[in-house]
Amino acid sequence: MLVLKNVTKSFGGIMATKDISMKLKPGSINAIIGPNGAGKTTLFNLITGKIKSDTGNIFIGNKNITSLSEVEITRLGIARAFQITNIFPTFTVKESIMAAILAKYNGLHNVWLRFKSHPVQEESENVAKITGLEKVLNIRGEELSHGDQKLLDIALALAMKPKILLLDEPTAGMGPEERRKMINKVKELWKKTKMTLVFIEHDMDIVFDVAQKVFVLQQGKILAEGLPKEIKKNQGVIDAYLGGGQKR
Amino acid sequence: MEVLALLDCLSTPACLLSQAVGGLKIGMLLFLVASGLTLIFGVLGVINFAHGILYMLGAYFAWQSMTLTGHFGFSVLVGALGVGIFGLAFERGLIKRIYESDLLIQILLCYSIILIMDDLVMIIWGDEFLSSIGVPEIFQVPPLFIFDAIIPPFHLAIIATSLLIAILLWILMTKSRFGSLVRAAAINPKMLEALGVNTNFIRYSVFALGSFLAGLGGALAASERSIVSQMGNSILIESFIVTVIGGMGSIGGAFLASLIIGMARSFGAVAMPLFTDGLMFIIMILVLILRPQGIMGGKK
Amino acid sequence: MNPFIRDSYKKDAFYSVISWITLLSLYFIFNDHGIQDIITKVAILGLFAMSLNILVGYLGLIAFGHATFFAAGAYTLGLFLQSDFVNIYNIGPWSIPIALILSILLPGILATIIGAICIRLREIYFSFLTLAFQMVIYSIILALVSITGGDQGLMGGFSKPPFLGIDLGNHFHFYAFTTFIVILAIFLMRQMIESPFGYGLRLIRDNHERPAALGFNIRSHQLLAFIIAGSLAGLAGSLQALLDVGAYPEWAFWSKSAEPLFMILLGGMQTFLGPLLGALIFELLNDFVTANTRYYGLILGLVILFFVLGFRRGLLDWIILKGRKN
Repeated sequence: MLVLKNVTKSFGGIMATKDISMKLKPGSINAIIGPNGAGKTTLFNLITGKIKSDTGNIFIGNKNITSLSEVEITRLGIARAFQITNIFPTFTVKESIMAAILAKYNGLHNVWLRFKSHPVQEESENVAKITGLEKVLNIRGEELSHGDQKLLDIALALAMKPKILLLDEPTAGMGPEERRKMINKVKELWKKTKMTLVFIEHDMDIVFDVAQKVFVLQQGKILAEGLPKEIKKNQGVIDAYLGGGQKR
Repeated sequence: MEVLALLDCLSTPACLLSQAVGGLKIGMLLFLVASGLTLIFGVLGVINFAHGILYMLGAYFAWQSMTLTGHFGFSVLVGALGVGIFGLAFERGLIKRIYESDLLIQILLCYSIILIMDDLVMIIWGDEFLSSIGVPEIFQVPPLFIFDAIIPPFHLAIIATSLLIAILLWILMTKSRFGSLVRAAAINPKMLEALGVNTNFIRYSVFALGSFLAGLGGALAASERSIVSQMGNSILIESFIVTVIGGMGSIGGAFLASLIIGMARSFGAVAMPLFTDGLMFIIMILVLILRPQGIMGGKK
Repeated sequence: MNPFIRDSYKKDAFYSVISWITLLSLYFIFNDHGIQDIITKVAILGLFAMSLNILVGYLGLIAFGHATFFAAGAYTLGLFLQSDFVNIYNIGPWSIPIALILSILLPGILATIIGAICIRLREIYFSFLTLAFQMVIYSIILALVSITGGDQGLMGGFSKPPFLGIDLGNHFHFYAFTTFIVILAIFLMRQMIESPFGYGLRLIRDNHERPAALGFNIRSHQLLAFIIAGSLAGLAGSLQALLDVGAYPEWAFWSKSAEPLFMILLGGMQTFLGPLLGALIFELLNDFVTANTRYYGLILGLVILFFVLGFRRGLLDWIILKGRKN
């Protein structure tokens, strides 16, 4: 479903992404792990079109998206949540999610209706419920707690009903209880929608519990890939990254 | 558009030279003012929309001093230093409150100062035009004739003085400790503060220096033009054009751009007398479209 | 305080009609040309300021050159009404309505061209470029003396033939007509701002990056907003031209672009009617100060300084913020 072939990207003189090739099966859950600075977020940026690769090609299905703009790629069915929360400060939770639902289909071009009473209100409330934000629907983004802001960031991605969902450290900054809840919700959603899920994570328990395939990134290269149990046993990975059970 | 007049002038050594010298003079005076503006932006990150006021005050202070002392050189110095001190007070009193603010707040603060000062000078010095302070006696001589072009020696003196200031400025910025501190502050003020450098000192001294330069430009300009409130407005716009074309924060860029604008004004007055201002803005538009960071501006 | 108010165009239409009727009553209550003229002026300037606020307040784009379109509207109306079109095509009674429509369309076209070029730049460079275009237009107006009258402005005046029973030569008719047009424009702006399109503007202002990741193209949205803002400014300019029976190059000078910015500051940029309130404060200040002293700049400057350093935001914004804190 999502295929990368020999993708490289360098900034200045630094190679952030070195000749990466990946194949992600449709409807699969994939995890990308690796130490900080390994190029995981850069990889997401390349996939969504935020930055352009120097060489290589990226495909969604049969379509070559390498030269498409971020907007065009997003409209093909990709959604992404950010590592550093990237929300709309003056919009309430409900309004933000409504905007996310409308954005893709030119819903925001409409001048005849009134936003506040737009039919997508209901859907927005549903998405909020899924991400556990139903209590803060009318709170503005800038007034939310840090944890809720993170949830909103994810909610915005979910609202787009994507075929491919990229989550960048979705549980960062959350306590263990919240993490379980978050991941379970995402998993439920995945079961219902059959979307292709890719998430960057540092919490190994979650990774090995949930992911169907794991990619290990180090210094811009894929160090190893495979089933979770294979990765756990992979000596190279253990030495480089897992070490003494490195958890966040 | 008077293309023929322009071509005619370009092919006549007399016209070519006199227009070129004229352009050089305009450019150099403009450089004095614009260098202050670009310096303030480069180091403080503030777009000093009130810069024209500093130029105007330089002229008024110089006039006042001339009326009292009758000494040209001294008056020019008074003009420049007076404005330098004013700039210091302006920075400490008002500018420092808006460093972190929105662009809109900065603009409005500066514009309010323009409104206040324009009226204040009228209250203090009256609303009539004040006549120019006149060219110093040494230069009250017949013009030089070079290739049949009429060149007033005083213009050459202004050009030379401005060039000298430009060189001194360059030495200050590149060779002195102050200069390296200033350049470092332009890149990373927080780091400098962490290293124990008094960034407040850098802020107000840079602003004072920028003001001094603008005041100097105004004082020198006062030798040939009449002095009136709002005289700073057109130099403000031109300084902005220069700053944008040269690259915001680049003094070298301001130098080049001032020359370009000076020449454009001078020869533009021949080619399109009714549209000379428009010409400058068209140059600015072209630069903003093709190379928004300016001739020597770095990518921010 | 953020209830999901059941707002609708019907409610706004109701308020608009009430406002117009109120203004009409004020005409007779005050029965003083001075006050009536202030209301007319405030209406026109308010429209101008509100059109700029689409960009400054809602979109977060600080346009320095907005008066370009105000002047364009004014000169379009003036030149059209002075031209031979009126006689050749014998449109007599339709000349003013047509002129008004042209004063929306032509500035709109100008805004399309200028906007397409300026929108590609960010922040301060965008602002400077809009100003540069304005000053080029100003220079053109001054240079084309035979058409525009140069620095004297459009000379010779023009007639205001009655249409649909409205005679703009009649003081009351003019007052009623101008306030009607302005209120209508405000009503349409309200619909636009409260529509998904309007929320799209705020989305861009809040976060420049995220919209693309939502599949939303910022550029076209910004350009459309720029065009709408320019067209409305053109309408304001044409009303001013009708009021003054002329058009002046000062309206294309950069200081004319600063005025709506003051109004936005004075009245508030985060509320819909803030700029209108700002126009009222500005005009009252203007009239009061010029009646009592020649040092209008000094007083206005001090007022703005006070707002900038004291409130740091417009009056209406400050009131709303206080309300939210309670």
